[in-house]
Amino acid sequence: MLSVLQAVKVAKHYGGVCALKNAHFELRAGEVHALIGENGAGKSTLARILAGSTIADAANIVIDGRTVTVQSPLDAQRLGIGMIYQELDLFPSLTVGENLVIGNLHFRERTLVSPRHIETFCRPFLERVGLACGVRAKVGALPIGQQQLVAIARALSMDARILLMDEPTSSLFDDAVERMFGLIGQLKSAGVAIVYVSHKMDEIFRICDRATVLRDGETIGTVEIATARVDELIRMMVGRDLKIAARPRRAGLGELVLRVDGLTTAKLRGISFALRRGEVLGVAGLVGAGRSELGAALFGMDRIQGGAIHVSGSIGLLPEDRRLQGLMMRMSVLENSTMAVLPRMQRLGFLRPAEERRALQPLALRLALHCDSAAQTVMELSGGNQQKVLLARWLLRDPDVLFLDDPTRGIDVAAKQDVYRIVDELAAAGKGVILVSSELPELLRCCDRIMVLSGGRLTAIYDARVATQEKIMAAATTPEFAEARP
Amino acid sequence: MIPLVRRLAGAQRGAAFAGIVVLAILISPVAADGSRVFLQMGNLTDILRQVSLIGIIALAMTYVILTAGIDLSVGSILALATALVAMALTRAWQSASYGWHILLAIAVAVAASALVGTLNGLVIATTRIQPFIVTLAAMIGVRGLAKWLTDNQNIDIGFGRDVAAEFAAVFREKAIVIGAYAAGAVLFWLMLARTVFGRHVRAIGDNERAAEYAGLPIRRTKIWVYTLSGLLSGLAGVLYAAENHQGNPNAGVAYELDAIAAVVIGGTRLSGGQGGISGTIVGTLFMGVLTNMLRLNNVDSNVEMMIKAVIIVLAVAVQKVG
Repeated sequence: MLSVLQAVKVAKHYGGVCALKNAHFELRAGEVHALIGENGAGKSTLARILAGSTIADAANIVIDGRTVTVQSPLDAQRLGIGMIYQELDLFPSLTVGENLVIGNLHFRERTLVSPRHIETFCRPFLERVGLACGVRAKVGALPIGQQQLVAIARALSMDARILLMDEPTSSLFDDAVERMFGLIGQLKSAGVAIVYVSHKMDEIFRICDRATVLRDGETIGTVEIATARVDELIRMMVGRDLKIAARPRRAGLGELVLRVDGLTTAKLRGISFALRRGEVLGVAGLVGAGRSELGAALFGMDRIQGGAIHVSGSIGLLPEDRRLQGLMMRMSVLENSTMAVLPRMQRLGFLRPAEERRALQPLALRLALHCDSAAQTVMELSGGNQQKVLLARWLLRDPDVLFLDDPTRGIDVAAKQDVYRIVDELAAAGKGVILVSSELPELLRCCDRIMVLSGGRLTAIYDARVATQEKIMAAATTPEFAEARP
Repeated sequence: MIPLVRRLAGAQRGAAFAGIVVLAILISPVAADGSRVFLQMGNLTDILRQVSLIGIIALAMTYVILTAGIDLSVGSILALATALVAMALTRAWQSASYGWHILLAIAVAVAASALVGTLNGLVIATTRIQPFIVTLAAMIGVRGLAKWLTDNQNIDIGFGRDVAAEFAAVFREKAIVIGAYAAGAVLFWLMLARTVFGRHVRAIGDNERAAEYAGLPIRRTKIWVYTLSGLLSGLAGVLYAAENHQGNPNAGVAYELDAIAAVVIGGTRLSGGQGGISGTIVGTLFMGVLTNMLRLNNVDSNVEMMIKAVIIVLAVAVQKVG
């Protein structure tokens, strides 16, 4: 088959940290090619280099048999390369249409841009990705799943023949994931070659033709998915065998730690449930169903319009977006970890860094947190390690109830296992855990019960032993959801 | 990598400061005894004394800017404090002993200044109106208050033997002024680096939303930050009144800009979260040495401003290269 893109000897350093040292990668026409590896393996860096948003120290890139240089996103656009970033690179205060035409070489600018002109240009691309909202809708007001479609429409409108997608399903629920797969299939048959950066094995096996595995900045190998096995890929990724632990048997549940009666906020309608010590309660629901809003209400961040929250003890909240809501990116690992327990770290009014380090050390081991030093800024860490810093913050705080909002979003397989283990340990230590996840297998693996939200209402609570993906999906898409949608 | 960049920026800041000092020495006029005027002890302490007022204001301004805020009202608060301390010395408590009288006068001026800061902080923290707008309003309103209180007049603190003159004689001493700045600098450095409050200041500036999710006391911290800014401006006002022998409702115009300049030359970002007290001290001294150098060489004061403008941009640009 014809190769459309070849990259060899790609290297990239960030200060003293080596992100890529000798990566190579080949993309064939009309294939969906998975780029996989643990966090920090360099797959996002490689994708960003191809998209021109990161400049490599060294790289030999050949497109259609011609050696090219990609020094900027504009270069990439000229070469027909588009990228969908995990943290979308859209302008939230501009409209969908404006987002599509801005910086777009294929949009013929006039001195005065008329909305109709933009609309005519955008319509076909929005239809192609199945985006129902208007061209004039503000991007910031759209749910994240639709924002992603805007990003894809933009890449298409830039006439991308090579589409790089960095974890496109990490913030989508299953129905949106299905639509995304349908779209990827369509694009593929239209001759677009797709690079699919992901951690999710089931997705890779469903939609990808080949997979290239990166580890520690080097290409380990490329395999045909048709003949590959999951454990083989995981072994290539981590360099060792990785056992996916089964759901542990839990000791009996303890006393009631949280009771919510008819909780109503701007986004929630009469939510009632109870949580016991030692219990892990899952929260499933489509994007916009009110999962994060439940956490915000419990944590006291949203105004409560009705109902009551009875909690014996304290509540901690690990927010959904670790970069925007969780971490102080320019502060150190240590400072981020102890952020919520600072009063405990002082003597005579002064902080004691030694005391802070003493508190973090056992946790860093328990979480398998990898960093060069505690003084390193969290900006330099991989997504999985960043999430672990945030977990460390709440483990140090030691609340009675911990609300974990999609804690495994965009982190690698090994880090996910660490998170599952921590959830198990928290339950065993008698905490009440509420776990939000977009991945149903994850909820089935970790939880005792799973509640399903839809349009701000609680539509079902299942015992995890009898719940199935089908049942949960059915409850997540009940008619109330359709009604609640504008 | 980031600590390295930070160290580099610090090194560049140090290098820029060393550069200006070397230049000042090189082009310094030579005194009759052959020594360089710039290096004479009297001149060096003059520099310190001259930067002390702006320096004191800039300490708290650093905290404000670290939280991604700004305080434009510091110059007006300084004027209010000069007026209050002069009024308290010349018109109230005439029967009190000198010591108590002076102490009370300073306390009134500084407390009122801190209160203005608290009000700034309260409005900013509760309404979420941008600090620029809130403190701009305070800058106008407090200036008006100072002028109204004094009926637009300067309140003279004489040179006689009364309590007001006694106050001026003590608090215009170089050692007192420089000592106040040095003590403030040490205290504010310690608070930022080694207390829970200081950590909260940096955290809020780095990511306010995350600070909210971490359950940090955002409102309280902000109110304190602006209170400290008011308090230090008031203290600077007391020193100003002593130095100039008067309460002056027109004092401190554009001081906020000098303080902000010292902070940003010191490497603190206006967007918050990054920077610190040591940088601000270097920035303050940098401005002081620059002014002194130009004045020793009899540079026209208008030209001085133009040169300063260029140097401010250069000093910040140098630190960006990292």
